[in-house]
Amino acid sequence: MSRIVEAVLADGTKIPYVITENPPKGGMKYTYFSPDKSYVVQFFNESELGRDINIQDRISAIIGKYNPTISEEKGGAKGNTEKLANYFSDKYCWPYAVIVSPEFGIVCPAYPANYFFNEKSSKVYGLNLTGKDKKSNWFTSKVRKYLSDDELGNFMMMMKISISLARAIRRMHTAGLAHSDLSNNNVLIDPKTGSCVVIDIDSLVVPGLYPPEVVGTRGYIAPEVLETTVYSYGDPRRALPCIETDLHSMAVLIYEYLLTRHPLTGPKHIPDIPAEEEDFLLMGSQALFIENPDDRSNRPDNLNVTIHDLGPHIEHLFLQAFTDGLHNPKYRPTAMDWERGLVKTWDLLYPCENPECREKWFVLYDMDKPVCPFCGHRIRNTEIVKFIFKKELRGKKGQWIKYRELIVYNNIPIFSWHVYSNIFADEKAERDLMAYVVKHQEQWLLINQKISGMRSSSGNIVPAGKAILLRNGDSFRISEDENGNLIEVVIT
Amino acid sequence: MSDFIRRLPVYLLLDCSGSMHGERIEAVKQGVKSLVAELKGDPQALETAYISVITFSSTAKQEAALTELMLFKEPELKASGATMFGRALSLLMDCINTEVRKSTETQKGDWRPLVFILTDGAPSDVEDFKKCAEQLKQMKVANIIACAAGADADTKYLKMITDNVLMMNSLSSGDLAQFFAWVSGSIKMTSKSIDAKPGQALELPPPPQGFQIVP
Repeated sequence: MSRIVEAVLADGTKIPYVITENPPKGGMKYTYFSPDKSYVVQFFNESELGRDINIQDRISAIIGKYNPTISEEKGGAKGNTEKLANYFSDKYCWPYAVIVSPEFGIVCPAYPANYFFNEKSSKVYGLNLTGKDKKSNWFTSKVRKYLSDDELGNFMMMMKISISLARAIRRMHTAGLAHSDLSNNNVLIDPKTGSCVVIDIDSLVVPGLYPPEVVGTRGYIAPEVLETTVYSYGDPRRALPCIETDLHSMAVLIYEYLLTRHPLTGPKHIPDIPAEEEDFLLMGSQALFIENPDDRSNRPDNLNVTIHDLGPHIEHLFLQAFTDGLHNPKYRPTAMDWERGLVKTWDLLYPCENPECREKWFVLYDMDKPVCPFCGHRIRNTEIVKFIFKKELRGKKGQWIKYRELIVYNNIPIFSWHVYSNIFADEKAERDLMAYVVKHQEQWLLINQKISGMRSSSGNIVPAGKAILLRNGDSFRISEDENGNLIEVVIT
Repeated sequence: MSDFIRRLPVYLLLDCSGSMHGERIEAVKQGVKSLVAELKGDPQALETAYISVITFSSTAKQEAALTELMLFKEPELKASGATMFGRALSLLMDCINTEVRKSTETQKGDWRPLVFILTDGAPSDVEDFKKCAEQLKQMKVANIIACAAGADADTKYLKMITDNVLMMNSLSSGDLAQFFAWVSGSIKMTSKSIDAKPGQALELPPPPQGFQIVP
């Protein structure tokens, strides 16, 4: 029933694609695959849209000067190096060519294979998911019970996905781009590997330049956008998708990843009006965070794990996003705030000892209370070790201030951002193993792999291949090179 | 948590009169089967959509009560007899009344049900039909999409029930398959976009090729 035809690109190149009956259809476009499934071609549901000069302009800009997945040298975003382009190319499904015939359309890379389910993904009879894409609410709504355990990943993988999403969105926002329709459908996730990919990039909004076309997806639309759909397009009271509304959608996604529930769906109820009108209010003007500390009217009574269990950084971000910022867009944390808070929290992750624990990892933010919130297990087989990192105050030699922490467990890797205060764990950082900590015969050892200038608390230089014995209260320079940190050891 | 999730009730009203006998009823059966399989592949639809099948021939019968997708079993459909369409509408109203959760002081209600009607003829019980169609249109309890299949289907009756009327020219198994694929697309779209703006016209994907929207 399918047949192969050719599309002509803007530069005259011809590429084949397979026409199938009932192609996958989104709100705006429908999709055909290439014969080898390495790329897809997409056309507009309403072909007039493809003839709109503004849309054509926008898409050309997205493919070219706004594109973080190719280097500046090759026509991509300004300042983008080959290394950064490589890093970001698997974070998005970024369109890379314009089709001019048979009608206006775009070419995108196909999602990597790990974003498709296979025949082993479902664990129930009568549900065959082979070939379906991994929309995030497969994993965050009650339908997750149908997936095989192996697909579900664990809390650490969900943290990894959250960081990856925050970073991808931060990259877009710093370039001045808003995605404008971030949702469970437009961010595919693979909890097995802890990766995500942002898709449907072509509805990108450049503030002031390219106005948005979509309102968004149910559950992810910012309250002010939903609330003001009663005004016509062009009315100054109407709020449209933009960077600040992305920040709402992204916070909803991260909340869902980490806690497998929606942050605004709770028991709050407005009786005597139809469901549609009620949700228009409950997701719009009357939206209320289910964990709002002051107004508990939307709080479900079975909240076992809460934002408090995710440590102070993430708790603070969610409170900002869903209490202060819910109806005040300018108070929403930025994607950069999210990336930093999540990365800081990553360093507080601790493996749960309970072999039955489904989440395997939790945030150990209080050394005196090492309890996994997911399974309730209290860590008792070992002492807890923490590194407090201090950096030297600029221009004030010998004055050190605490700026981050790391909860240490057996075999934990130490990276450059733990060694030097001027390195942040982002796309630019080297990811080589610098050192690691092991528990050996009841002693905790920091083994140097390739850090120069490491000096133990007793004043000895520790070359690569040698170790430092860690004792409670010890303080040592992990590197005496420029920007090298001072580490204080706490063992309980 | 699941208590706060609204359901999206979907009713399929299928004409099983004598004229549907043979290849056509087989295609409808196949269509229902692939519709359910397709919806199961969409997490939002799988979580929220509940399906019921009502057939009408010399009588009207609810073949499958409103059921979540994972528990839904395709009914054994047979075609014979007359087209008691009016009776089917009356049964539909009863089912909506008893099965769809209403918003109460303490409970969140279901989404407005989606009703898809497929018929290849005209009602045998015209008087009953007119009365029920009028009632149904007045009650505004559901979003109804009616499809007239083949040359003998009379769209004027469908227009009495709803403004969303589609027409497909042939009753080939290919067309019926396309119809059910379109139904699944419509359900998926509705499960994602409900509440965007209440009171707005229902947003549906463009109908498949060869189908006309009856103005």
